[in-house]
Amino acid sequence: MRPAQNGLAGNTSIVPDKKWPVAGVGALQMLPDAGLAISTRDLTKVYRNPWTLQVVRGLEGLDLDVRRGEVLGYLGPNGAGKTTTLKLLTGLHKPTRGTAWLLGVPIHETASRRRIGFLPEQPYFYDYLNGIEYLEFAGCLSGLSGGDAHRQARHWLGRAGLGERPRLVLRKYSKGMLQRLGLAAALLHDPELLILDEPMSGLDPFGRRDVRELIQEQKERGVTVLFSSHILPDVEILCDRVAILLQGRLTRVATVGELVQGSRQRIEIRCTGAGTLEVPANLDGVVECRQRSHETVLTLSAEQRLGEVLEWLLRSRIQIRTVTPNRVTLEELFMATAEGAGSRSEAPSPARAGEPAERRTA
Amino acid sequence: MIVAAIARNTFREATRDRVVTGVVLFGIAAMLLTQLLSPLALGEGHRLTIDLGLTSISVLGMLVVLLAGSSLISKEIEKRTIYNLLSRPIGRPVYLTGKWAGMAGALWVVAATLGAALWALLALRGHAGHGPSLAQAVYLAGLELTVLTSLVVMFSALSTPVLSALYTLGAYCLGQWSGDLRGFAHQFPPGIAGAIEVVANLVPNLPIFNMRSLAAAGDTTSGFHLGVASGYAAVYCACVLCLAAAAFESRDFK
Amino acid sequence: MRVLQSVPPRVLRMSAAWALALTLVGFVFQVSDFAYRRLPAPRPLEELSYYPSGMLLRPATLGHGETAADLAWLRAVQYYGEHRSSDMRFTRMYHVFDVLTTLAPGFIPAYVFGAFALAQEGSDFARAEALMEKGLGVNPTSGRLAFELGFLHYVRPGGRDLRRAAQYFEQAARQPDGPPESRRFAAFARQHSGDLGVAYLLWAEVAAGSENPYLRKMAGREMRKIREAVETGRAELAVKRLTTPIVRRSR
Repeated sequence: MRPAQNGLAGNTSIVPDKKWPVAGVGALQMLPDAGLAISTRDLTKVYRNPWTLQVVRGLEGLDLDVRRGEVLGYLGPNGAGKTTTLKLLTGLHKPTRGTAWLLGVPIHETASRRRIGFLPEQPYFYDYLNGIEYLEFAGCLSGLSGGDAHRQARHWLGRAGLGERPRLVLRKYSKGMLQRLGLAAALLHDPELLILDEPMSGLDPFGRRDVRELIQEQKERGVTVLFSSHILPDVEILCDRVAILLQGRLTRVATVGELVQGSRQRIEIRCTGAGTLEVPANLDGVVECRQRSHETVLTLSAEQRLGEVLEWLLRSRIQIRTVTPNRVTLEELFMATAEGAGSRSEAPSPARAGEPAERRTA
Repeated sequence: MIVAAIARNTFREATRDRVVTGVVLFGIAAMLLTQLLSPLALGEGHRLTIDLGLTSISVLGMLVVLLAGSSLISKEIEKRTIYNLLSRPIGRPVYLTGKWAGMAGALWVVAATLGAALWALLALRGHAGHGPSLAQAVYLAGLELTVLTSLVVMFSALSTPVLSALYTLGAYCLGQWSGDLRGFAHQFPPGIAGAIEVVANLVPNLPIFNMRSLAAAGDTTSGFHLGVASGYAAVYCACVLCLAAAAFESRDFK
Repeated sequence: MRVLQSVPPRVLRMSAAWALALTLVGFVFQVSDFAYRRLPAPRPLEELSYYPSGMLLRPATLGHGETAADLAWLRAVQYYGEHRSSDMRFTRMYHVFDVLTTLAPGFIPAYVFGAFALAQEGSDFARAEALMEKGLGVNPTSGRLAFELGFLHYVRPGGRDLRRAAQYFEQAARQPDGPPESRRFAAFARQHSGDLGVAYLLWAEVAAGSENPYLRKMAGREMRKIREAVETGRAELAVKRLTTPIVRRSR
C-alpha cells in the first residue's frame, strides 16, 4: 500500500478525499493525485481461452500516471498491449487485476467516461446514418440535450471538414473522412481527456497534419491527450512524454528529450574521391563506411575521435564535403529498445514498485 | 434519455433495413393474395382473410426478429460500432434496454401496419365490425413479438447471429408448446413431471398471446386477459433483459 | 460481324446470357408440360392419405392451427367438388374434416358442411353424426350446431329420427345464437313423432313469442289440430307420416 501523493510535500495522508470516490469495496485504496488525468495501479489483463485454457497476458501490472494537460504518446510494437490498455481505461475490457482512475473516477464506474472522448483504432460507424445524425446521436449519448447535440454536431462536422455534405450516408465516407468524423464525435462534448488509438492510422499527409493540429489545439486548451501511434515523427512533435510498452509491460516513460539525450550522438561525414576506402586499424569499429554512386558516407559513433578521422581523411587526400552531427531519432531508439527487450529473457521490468521517480510524474 | 437515444437509433436502423420494408410489403401482398382464394372458401372468405392475415403478422414479425434481431448486438460487436457507445457513460444494461426497445418499436410498427392493412381489406369486404377483435389480436401479437425480441437480444449479446436465431426459434417452438408440455408432464412420475413443469414455466407462455381463433369468429377477449398478457410480457421481458445484462457485463470486446 | 465487333464485350456476354436463359426457360416449359400430360397422375384413392392426424398436426402448426385449418378447408372443399362431379366416393372426407376441426375446434361451418356432405352424398350417416357430436362436444353452447344436428337427424337418409331431431332443436332454441326457427322445428318434430303433449307446449311458445302473424296463425292451427287429436283419440289428425329421405348410392 503506497501513500497518496498530493500537492503538499511531505503530506502522506491516506484519509479518503471527499472529492473522489474510493476504489474498491471494504478496503482503503490508494487515491490518485488531483492533478492526474489518468492513474493506473497494477492494471493487468489476462486472456484465458475457455476451451483450451490457454493463457495470454495482454497487459501486466501497469502503473502509469498522466498529468492533466499533458500529451502522452503510448508506443509499442503490434501486440504489445496498447489497445488493451486503452480498452481497459474506456470500459470495453474488464481488468483481471488492478484498477485505474480517469479524472479521479474509478474506471469501473460509468461516470469515469463522462468527461472523456475516445477514438478507437479504425473506427466504424452505423453506415445507415449520415454525418449529422451520427454526431447528434453521439452527443445525446454523451449527455447533451437534443438542442445542444444538434448545435455541436453542426459545429464539429464543419470543423472536421465534412460540413459541406451533412446528409451524406456514412457508407459513402472514405477512410480519412471516417477518422475525422470519429475525432469530431470524441470532441463534441468538450471532454477533459482524450484517448486516441492510432488517430493518424490510414490518413494521408494532409489528414495527419489536420489531426496533429487538432491535438495541438486541444493541448493548448488544457485537454489531456493519451494516444497510441506507430507514426513516431508525429509523436516526437506532439508529445510531452512517451511511454513504451513491450510484451504487455511498461518499459520506459520519459520525455522525448530525456530518451534521446542519453543516447550517443553520431557524426556523418560525406566525402568524394574516396574510391575504395580502407579504414585504418586504429579506427576499426569506430568508423562505418558506405559507398554510394557519387559519394562515400562515413558514420562515426565516437564523436571524441572526430579529429583523428578528419586527419586520416585529409592525409588520404579525400575531399570532405560535409560533417553533420546526428542525434538518435525516437524511431531508432524505439526499435533498439524493442529489439533489446525481445532478445532478453523474462527479466523483471524496471516499471514496477520502487522504480525511478522520472517514470511517475513530470 | 440515453435509452431513448439508443432506442431511436435502433428503430432507425431496423426501419431503414430493407428486411423490414420487404416484410411489410410481402405481408400486404400475402393478404391481397388471400382474396384470390376467397371464392374457393365456400362463404368463409372473411375467415380465411383474418386467419391468414393474423398469421402473416405473427410469422413475418418472427422473421424480422430472426433476421434483424439475431445480429442486433453481435453485428455491433463484430463491426466494432459498439466501441463508440460503451466507451461513453452508458451502462451495459442501459445499452441492452435501448436496443430491445428500438427493435420492439420497429416490430410494433410492422404489426400495426399489417393490422391496419388487414382491417382495411375486411372493411372493403363489408366486415368492418371485426375491428375491435382484430385490434386485440394485433395487440397480443405485438406483445408476443416484444417477448421474442427480449430473447433474441439476450442471445445476440452472447452468441453469433446464426446461433442466436436458432436459440430464439427453439424458444419460440417450446413457447408455443408450453401448454402441451404441461399436459405431457402429467403422464410422468411426480419428480419428472415437476421438472417438465418447471421447463414449461420457464419458456415463454406464447399461447397467452394467441386469440386468433376468437378473432376469426369476430369475438373479443376480456380486459382481464389483455391485462394478464400485458403484465406477463412486461415481467418476462424484464427478467430476460436482466439475465442478458448480467451475462453481458463481463464480456470483453476484442 | 462488323456490328458485333462494335458492341462492347461486356454487353455481348450479358446478351448471350439472357438469350441462353430465355431459351432454357422455353425448354423448361416444354418438359414441364410434357411431364404433366404424359406421366401418370396420382390415383384419387391415394390423395390425402398422408394427411396427418389433427392431434399431431396441431403442435406442428406452432399456434397457427386456425390458418392450417383454413388451408385444410380449401383442400376439403376441392376434394368434395372433385368427387361430387366424378365418382361420388368420399372415403377421405371424414378424416379431412376431423383434422381441420381438431385444428380449429370453433370452425362451425366445417362441422356442418362435412356432416351433411358425409350424410347426404357420402352415405355415411354414422360418421356425419360423429362429426357433429364432436363439434357440439367442444362447442356445447353453439345453438347453430345443435340446430344443424337436429336437422341432420330430421333428414337422415333411410329414416328420419324425429325424436332426436326434436331434442336438438330444443337445445338450439335454448342457446343465444340458436336460429329463431328452432322452437318451431322442435314443435313440428315432436308433433310428428307422436309426442303431442310437448309439441302443444312448444307451439304455444311459438304463438306467444313470435312477432310474425303468419307464424302465430300457423302455431294456433297446429295447436287446434293437437287438441282435436287428443280429444277424439285420433292421433292421425295431428301426426303426419313424413316421406323417407332417399339413400344415395355411390357410382
